[in-house]
Amino acid sequence: MSLQQIIGLAIIIFFLARVLSQKRKNQLNAAEFNFWLAFWLIAGAAVALLKQIDRSLAQLGFSASGINFLLYLSVAVLFYFIFRLRLQLAKMEGEITKIVKKIALGDKPADKK
Amino acid sequence: MDKVFIIIPAYNESAAITSVIKDIRAASKEWQMVVVDDGSSDRTAELAETAGAVVLRHLVNRGQGAALKTGTEYAIMAGAEVVVHFDADGQFSAADIPAVIAPLTAGEAQVVFGSRFLSAPGGKKSNIPWFKKHVILGLARLINKIFLGVSLSDPQTGCRAFSKEAAVKLNWQQDKMAHCSEIMRLAVKNNLRVREVPITVVYHSFGQHFSGGVKILEEFFLGIFTK
Repeated sequence: MSLQQIIGLAIIIFFLARVLSQKRKNQLNAAEFNFWLAFWLIAGAAVALLKQIDRSLAQLGFSASGINFLLYLSVAVLFYFIFRLRLQLAKMEGEITKIVKKIALGDKPADKK
Repeated sequence: MDKVFIIIPAYNESAAITSVIKDIRAASKEWQMVVVDDGSSDRTAELAETAGAVVLRHLVNRGQGAALKTGTEYAIMAGAEVVVHFDADGQFSAADIPAVIAPLTAGEAQVVFGSRFLSAPGGKKSNIPWFKKHVILGLARLINKIFLGVSLSDPQTGCRAFSKEAAVKLNWQQDKMAHCSEIMRLAVKNNLRVREVPITVVYHSFGQHFSGGVKILEEFFLGIFTK
């Protein structure tokens, strides 16, 4: 295992410890805890298995190294999370509009002649 | 005479709202005007009320599409037979409204869009800025045709009229500026009889820029996933 992998794993262990500590203090709900636990465990596995990822990528015909692949993957995941966040905001905006409309129409009931 | 409701969404339009209402009143005393004050911080609502319009108030700014939806739902509840959408900035001409509602009252169409690109015989032409006319609206027309199946001469018109049945069916969800294209798409999707009529728009400012067009595309894209 290379020095970089050891440093990477140490950082991941630090964040895993933080997640566990936050769970103990009830600062994370079950869904958040599961998500972050899975996230850091997968990240740890990816760093530990970097050489195997390198080999797998080479077998698939890709010239990029495992660490590059992980970087590309993390950018794609970040884009996905931003998109999810944007969708969530759009849904909330729609809900706000419904409330504002209801209040506006309730303030001035239509007089059907 | 059909019961006609003119819906005017307004956000900080105190400079123009009174004259817009007076112009519409001069065109017909029969039409009912509903101004939807979309969270203005100026005297728009007060002036509209003084000028004789029914005023609905959005507590916070929700966008033109949302304001039009509020006004249209009010008109349907109040027994409207024809619903007209009209801008509050004084760029539209109230004299065009009879031509916009004529195909509805004659039973020739269920949805009528005013078009800046059609010219009435002997009529005035809209002074659309060159870049807007040939680049922004040209691209918008192409996008409407390719992605929405809409082939109308004016891809972003704000002047439109519906029969009551059409107003009920056109359940648009876009709160901001993407409602223009969404209403067109819904009219096509619901197989409503659509007609375009020429209108004249007087530009006091450039209005929607290229970035606004990109924003509309983004709103539309997100709208696909939030239904």
